[in-house]
Amino acid sequence: MEEVRIGVYICNCGTNIAKVVDCEAIRQSLSKMPNVVVARTYKYMCSNPGQEMIVENIRKHDLNRVVVAACSPRMHERTFRKALQHAGINPYFFEMANIREQCSWVHEDPDAATAKALAVTRAAVLRVAHHEPLEKLYADMCPSTLVLGGGIAGLSAALELADADHQVFLVEKTDRLGGNLARVDLTAPHLYSARDLLTDRITRVREHPKIQVMLESELKNLSGFVGNFTALVGPVKGNGNAPREQSMEVGSVVVCIGYKEFDAGRITHYGYGKLPNVITSFEFEKMLREGKIQTKEGRIPQYFAIVHCVGSRSRDYHGYCSRVCCMTALKYAHEIKSALPKSYVSDLYIDMHAFGKGHEDFYLESSEAKTLFLMYGKNEHPVIKRAQPGDDCEMLIEVSEKLSGEEIEIPADVVILMVGMEAQPGADHVARLVNISQDKDGWYIESHPKLDPVATTTEGIFIAGTCAAPKDIPDTVAQARAAAARILGRIARQKIEIDAVFAEVDEDRCSGCRMCNSLCPYSAIEFDEEKHRSKVNSALCKACGACVAACPSRAIKARHFTDEQILAQIEGVLA
Amino acid sequence: MAIRVNPKLVNELERYGAKDVMKCYHCGTCSAVCVHIGEPFMFPRHPGRNLQMGLESKLRNSLEPWLCYYCATCSEQCPRKAEPSETMMSLRRWLISRYDFTGFSRLLYQSWKAELAVILILAFLTGAGFLLWGFSHGDIRSFDGPNAFLSSSYVHIFDWAMAGVLTFFLTVNSLRMWWFTLGGRKDISVPWLAYAKGVYLLPLHFFTQMRYAKCEQKFPWVIHLILMFSYITMFVLIMFFLHAVQSGPAINWNAHVFGYPAALGLIGTCIYLVRGRLKKNQPWHVHSHVSDWMFLILLLYVAVTGVVLHVLHRSGLGFAANITYVVHMAGVVPMLLVEVPFSKWSHMMYRPLAMFFADLVAMGLRKKARKPSALSSPELAHVS
Repeated sequence: MEEVRIGVYICNCGTNIAKVVDCEAIRQSLSKMPNVVVARTYKYMCSNPGQEMIVENIRKHDLNRVVVAACSPRMHERTFRKALQHAGINPYFFEMANIREQCSWVHEDPDAATAKALAVTRAAVLRVAHHEPLEKLYADMCPSTLVLGGGIAGLSAALELADADHQVFLVEKTDRLGGNLARVDLTAPHLYSARDLLTDRITRVREHPKIQVMLESELKNLSGFVGNFTALVGPVKGNGNAPREQSMEVGSVVVCIGYKEFDAGRITHYGYGKLPNVITSFEFEKMLREGKIQTKEGRIPQYFAIVHCVGSRSRDYHGYCSRVCCMTALKYAHEIKSALPKSYVSDLYIDMHAFGKGHEDFYLESSEAKTLFLMYGKNEHPVIKRAQPGDDCEMLIEVSEKLSGEEIEIPADVVILMVGMEAQPGADHVARLVNISQDKDGWYIESHPKLDPVATTTEGIFIAGTCAAPKDIPDTVAQARAAAARILGRIARQKIEIDAVFAEVDEDRCSGCRMCNSLCPYSAIEFDEEKHRSKVNSALCKACGACVAACPSRAIKARHFTDEQILAQIEGVLA
Repeated sequence: MAIRVNPKLVNELERYGAKDVMKCYHCGTCSAVCVHIGEPFMFPRHPGRNLQMGLESKLRNSLEPWLCYYCATCSEQCPRKAEPSETMMSLRRWLISRYDFTGFSRLLYQSWKAELAVILILAFLTGAGFLLWGFSHGDIRSFDGPNAFLSSSYVHIFDWAMAGVLTFFLTVNSLRMWWFTLGGRKDISVPWLAYAKGVYLLPLHFFTQMRYAKCEQKFPWVIHLILMFSYITMFVLIMFFLHAVQSGPAINWNAHVFGYPAALGLIGTCIYLVRGRLKKNQPWHVHSHVSDWMFLILLLYVAVTGVVLHVLHRSGLGFAANITYVVHMAGVVPMLLVEVPFSKWSHMMYRPLAMFFADLVAMGLRKKARKPSALSSPELAHVS
């Protein structure tokens, strides 16, 4: 075996490390360890001179292993691996010891911190001797995409991808495209027609040579990994007319299945389902689209009331805010006042969420149109009841009003309930099929809440629109097009890079017990029936090590996390 | 017991000059910057809210509009430009129309045509009446002396009769104000001794307007004080010393040493205020209701014609002086008959009363707070 020649570098990180840890003492101690040829401290190892020092040392001293004791590998492992590559040796001959985030930044006693840093760095030196040269793998990237959901998100993503000349399979479970937006008349705050927004897109999607639209269909199965998925799409259960099942090869999936509205009947205080003129926002949209605003008895209403947060921001129903309803309610105030100028509109809200562009101005315009804004308390419910026969209104709403401090009753002929958004009933089924997760409210979880809003923990599966969280049209379209852009970027690189670190099954030792198959959280282990052996799909494997630990035959080895490497590390810490 | 919301009231108040009331979103900045607020009287947001919701009886029973002096700091600070000070002004006009039992005030405030018509009719009737009287009792060329066209002894009687009429209306309306704001309230009771102890507040506030002086800008208070004392001086001279004022043609300095500065004060302040409203040079001059213009124009007219009359009289032009006197009275009578009981001038009674009642209301509410079981009303649950 080739002689192991290790270069050790202890970074000061300015004063971040040096203020607490005695770097020079560590350097001295390490320089006495076996196989350590070079031991140095430096102010900032990640800087250009720092990296150049490593490259120069590798060449001059013929080093074949490098240890850097510095910050977290999450910061600079990549930086230093590149330096090794630059110097001409395999980047996996590198190990990083974290003596900043896990040492100097969290301990105050210099002696104890130095002792800990020394132990950690010794561990890294002993480990790196057992490192093997690893190579990255590459897979093909199929340029086709599966889009689940034919609403505004699905239409936008599909067009973005198809216009770049890539095949798209658009799967929609109902018999028409447009989703929830097709049920809307005008949009807030600019009062554009929803039909105008959709018609153009729907027409282009239907006529696009690169988009195959499958209505009344749903995803039945998805297998494979990023760049290499196989999807099975078939008719929605109980539908005889729909086409047969179809299988397709896709590189990515965009999940944009949208939302379902909250069932207002669950809140008995509002009398939905009992009082005929208590309606939901979507039912009011239907009236607006038909151009007929009237009570169930056919009369022109004089008093309108709009109630916010129905099913949202509530201890008893959903705790979250459904985001779009405040502006939609103001939109209704506008539409009612322009259709029926002599009517009176009361708006019962908890807070006014006017967060977006043009929203505060829209709110001001509703006030100028003489909408009466009444504030009720969170977790309280206005009570809607029938008025007395002689009264000039159909119903009275009793509410404890917060801006005045009074208990008031409001006349109303029509009450519009702003029902919130809920996850689709089939969202959990779809999540299992494509291997993504839902949070406690049923919304799909993104890879990072701040920095990675459209990717998921499963590579190649993207989420967009309201199925990820309540949002309005601009944000939905932004996410849909963002997902498409991410996919286009991957397609442009043409190959999927598979990380060199993954688990491998030794076929000779595997007994075919299949215990690892169900343990893998990434569904990365397949079973070869013919050979009667398990096999790890290196593209899907994230090297978590569960299968390695579980295998009763000790047949699975994790590359870069072998038993020898880990045991050497333990030895170094305990020495 | 829930109170019924009435969304129609705002439309009515707009005829009284209320603007942009619905734009208020209750940030509370207006009340925060007002120097006059103090428990239990919080404004302008609270009356503004009652107005938005149309709680008419609460508004009618409120004293807050009278505690405001239109310094307009609230309107300047309002982030929504909801004009809270003009809302308070419109509430004052509305309250005047509510205290009035005849219904004239309501009519005059809501229709400028009605107000103009009433003033012109009264002017015509006065002019005609005085001319007829003059022709039947004297010589039109003679202003003073035994043959005076309009002898001061007769005019004096006329003046006192008119004062009686005005006093009657003002008294009845003031009693109504007391009933709405204090006497008729079922939730608080105030002992008669408290009334007696507090009655000094009436002349105190009437003559000093000391609450007005608390506003940041002192100049409006000064102007108003000058205007008011000029008017009071003229009032005293005319009601009690008409004979001295009308005697001549030599100037009676005992009377006119007061009359000249009074006339100057009246004309000067009126011109200043008219100019201010025309140029909108101050935040409280930006909005002008017809009643605001009527008040100033009539007062200026009366003051100017009075000066002209004086000059003509002293110059020996008896005929011209008499004609001017008729023209002068044709302005005085409508001005007083319309303004004092039914329009803007009634504030001279209502404001000092409001100061007096406010003290008693606050006392009554404090008493009630200490004994929550007795005489408590859910409407005032939020006031402690």
